[in-house]
Amino acid sequence: MSLLGPILLAATLAVPAAFLAACFVPRWRDEALAWQWLAPVPALLAAAAALVAGPFDLSAPALKLSLRLDLPAALLLAVSALLWIAVGAGVLRAPAAPLDRRVAVSWLLTLIGSLGVFVADDLLSFYLVYALVSIPAWGLFAFDPAPETQRAGRVYMAMALLGEAFLLAAFVLLAAGEPHGSLRIPDVVAALPVSPWRDAALALIVAGFGAKMGLVPLNGWMPLAYAATPIPAAAVLSGAGVKAGVIGLVRFLPLGIPLVGWGEALAALGFVTAFYGVLVGVTQPNPKAVLGYSSVSQMGVIAAALGMALAAGDAGAPALVAFYAANHVLVKGALFLAVGAFSARGVRPGLWSLLALALALSLAGLPLTGGFLAKAASKPLFGYGFAALLAAASSAGSALLMLHFSARLPEAWRYEATASPGPLVRFWPAAALGALVLPWLLFPFVGAVGDALSLAKLWDGLWPILLGGLLAYALASAADRLPRIPVGDTIVVGEAAFARMLRVGALFDRLDAAFSRWPAAALALLAIALALAWAAAP
Amino acid sequence: MTPADVPTAGGALLALAILLPAAGILASFALGGRWPERIALGSAPFALALALAITGEVWRAGRPIVYAIAGLSPPLGIALRADGVSAVMLVVTALIVPAAGLYARPLFATPPDGRETRKAFTFWIMLQAISAALAIVFVSGDLFNLYVALELLTFAAVPLACVEGKPETLAAALRYLLFALVGSIFYLLGAALLYGAFGTLDIALLAERMRPAPAVTAAAALMTAGLLAKTALFPLHLWLPPAHANAPAPASAVLSGLVVKGSFFLTVRLWFYVLPALPAIGFDAILGALGSAAVLFGSVMALRQPRLKLLIAYSTIAQIGYLFLIFPLAAGVHPWTAMGWNGGVMQVLAHAFAKAAMFLAAGLVYESLGHDRIDKFAGAARAMPLTFLTLGLGGLSLMGLPPSGGFAAKWLLLGASIASGQWVWALVLLAGGLLAAGYVYRILAPALARAPIVLKAPPRRAGEAVALTLALVAVALGFMPDAFFRLLDIGRPALATAGLP
Repeated sequence: MSLLGPILLAATLAVPAAFLAACFVPRWRDEALAWQWLAPVPALLAAAAALVAGPFDLSAPALKLSLRLDLPAALLLAVSALLWIAVGAGVLRAPAAPLDRRVAVSWLLTLIGSLGVFVADDLLSFYLVYALVSIPAWGLFAFDPAPETQRAGRVYMAMALLGEAFLLAAFVLLAAGEPHGSLRIPDVVAALPVSPWRDAALALIVAGFGAKMGLVPLNGWMPLAYAATPIPAAAVLSGAGVKAGVIGLVRFLPLGIPLVGWGEALAALGFVTAFYGVLVGVTQPNPKAVLGYSSVSQMGVIAAALGMALAAGDAGAPALVAFYAANHVLVKGALFLAVGAFSARGVRPGLWSLLALALALSLAGLPLTGGFLAKAASKPLFGYGFAALLAAASSAGSALLMLHFSARLPEAWRYEATASPGPLVRFWPAAALGALVLPWLLFPFVGAVGDALSLAKLWDGLWPILLGGLLAYALASAADRLPRIPVGDTIVVGEAAFARMLRVGALFDRLDAAFSRWPAAALALLAIALALAWAAAP
Repeated sequence: MTPADVPTAGGALLALAILLPAAGILASFALGGRWPERIALGSAPFALALALAITGEVWRAGRPIVYAIAGLSPPLGIALRADGVSAVMLVVTALIVPAAGLYARPLFATPPDGRETRKAFTFWIMLQAISAALAIVFVSGDLFNLYVALELLTFAAVPLACVEGKPETLAAALRYLLFALVGSIFYLLGAALLYGAFGTLDIALLAERMRPAPAVTAAAALMTAGLLAKTALFPLHLWLPPAHANAPAPASAVLSGLVVKGSFFLTVRLWFYVLPALPAIGFDAILGALGSAAVLFGSVMALRQPRLKLLIAYSTIAQIGYLFLIFPLAAGVHPWTAMGWNGGVMQVLAHAFAKAAMFLAAGLVYESLGHDRIDKFAGAARAMPLTFLTLGLGGLSLMGLPPSGGFAAKWLLLGASIASGQWVWALVLLAGGLLAAGYVYRILAPALARAPIVLKAPPRRAGEAVALTLALVAVALGFMPDAFFRLLDIGRPALATAGLP
């Protein structure tokens, strides 16, 4: 075990990287593409080993790389690897959908980043894999020349780069606050509460990872991108990709030391996001956009849970939050596959619709689904006060949003520009069942299944769903009076502001023209000489 | 004679590093025909071996190596001196110049009958002259000697910029020449003032004798302003975009990647090695502010260019701006100066490779499409994937995303600005990265789109290989071990003066 763990850890990144390299060798390319769905297998094995045998790590100082896999990361790595394998094998391998080489490269790069964020243990490695999960994902949808796709691609890229800039600043502050020069994440986070740059670093951490999680006001890109993304890519991005932000907050918030102000601020931001996602989501007709807003809302719940844990100094929160997020990985991935299957119009209503409904309501914590366990895991973080009430209300909101989604699901075909791969129709029920059952296998690592199954707990899980059902009924009668909010809501404001900013460019043109004239250049040279003389004067 | 001027073992290598390209130029003139090309490319392995030998010698000695020309030490003679940074810059030159040469072979070939053409003859000789001039810039220990090197650099660079003889390139080259000459005059005036005040132009001796005086003030200001003009630091950049954008691609690569770094290197020599004893307050803020303005101005202008080569040229103006952050971040003796120094030098290296690679790739785009208008790039990345991969990898380094030398540089510079409490430079670094991402996106996004495209000719394989290799070096710089930064620190002036009473 002592050797196997680190080997698997190295293979988690090395094997997908080998597939990527093979894509650039013409002789191996086709083989590599045919078998790329196997690339996340070492990650799955590593996660399983870590769940069974406890955390392990690996450091390669020559490469300036250190990796570590602990319980929260192993939970997320296991389900993310599974999702990548399932989508890669079930959807992409289909002969009907030959993989564009550019998309294949983006796919593997994003995959390396998506798995890498769960194992990276130092600032520089983390920043590298985080950039990989954010930026190449652009290539998973933005090659399509449709104007709406191009717009989604631009917005996605701008937000990804903005998040990178926030994080770079945060990481530099974290490194500067660590007195011994260590770049390992546990060291820099341990030094954070007493760092002179604590507040700036925390603000940047929340902003950087919040951009990835779609926290308000950086939420608009998410529904916009998912609406434009082909089903397989939307499944892995919404399931696994977004969790880079979650593991980021889990890793970089100094949980265990109570920071009441910061914790409460983050919890408030999280709850605002959770309800905002529901409110805007129910106005959306496109089921993919509804799922996007549901992700916004769910990430809000996670941020709120982490905020409560930060305020309380709860060091045990990471595993619970990771379990909640792991359930979301599976369910959201499977829901996108369901959208693809329904838009292929090969699905008859009836039993399959019921399965889709159960899957959707899992996000609201429907008893006996995986989501029920996820709510059980997150419950202790919200305590028994106002926060617990808000959390329950957010479950009711989720139920409302998911019922709206289920109502829109049969219309999915109206919104799918690209035909979904055929095998989806056969494949999605397996994915849906997996998403409902797998959390039961993982729950014992964070809690006792017996405790979660009392009658009172079942009622706790059920009443928000019933409330959500009532709300959905009320909403259905008011459907034509709802405002029409464009997909991406506030992003429209951001785009308008950006367009106004671009007009400043003309000013720069004039400046350039001015300094391109000899008299101006000569004057500038003299002015610089005089200024330097003034500065250098004794 | 100061301790810094005592000749050391291996010093003769420095003389060889200058003599090799100089001899190559003389032989090229004498033999003519196909020989300039043969000599320029054939001498490259020797130049690289020499540069590596010098690097090894500096690393082994753990201190700068010194050679006294003709056995006469300063103030009577002239010293050559190489510290860690000079050695590394020699290696960089020995890699980028031959890379540009290899790329340029089909463009500047001598006709099969061996008849000499003006174009080829000029190109291959001037390429060697750039090597010679840069070698002197990097190893010379004497300010007048450095003046000669600067002039040689200018007179080699200007013909390269207009070697094709088209009217617009001639106009651009003339502009370049005039502005560079004004810069030279400023530098020479300053050097003369220093000679009048101290009776020597040897860097080590000057540093020892340095004391505040009006003449020193005037000299520092004049020399710096002259060097900034030659480095095209905003707002003294008027000559750079037309010269770099209109030159043939291999010439642009050398001009943007290396030549502007020559005068920057001299500015660093001046302020960190000659004048550190001067109680100048504010000069570092002025240079940092000009650099920051250059970052913002150059990046925004790059965002607005319709043509790829102009975009890359304006990006050079922005990237030069980052270099000048070394002055506020590495001056004096503080805990963060090593970070600032290493970050500044890493930026020089990363930009040299990334920008050379991008200009070469831009040349291939121009050859294959017959134009370099960005709005007509749709589908180009599919037709020439390696060329656009090169542009992407170079762009990665310019944006400062990992893994790349540009990221390493940015990480170190950001760290130094935070540790020194100079927040404003950190903001500039972050904003510059976002703007760079914007202009790299502008190149790649249309090219990656699915669209039919007709190539005039497929890109040259050899050219693609050379450009991609340079881009990969820019990426590999992100993995440099700590030992590399210890090498850069050898002879770093703040360390040297920290030991003095």
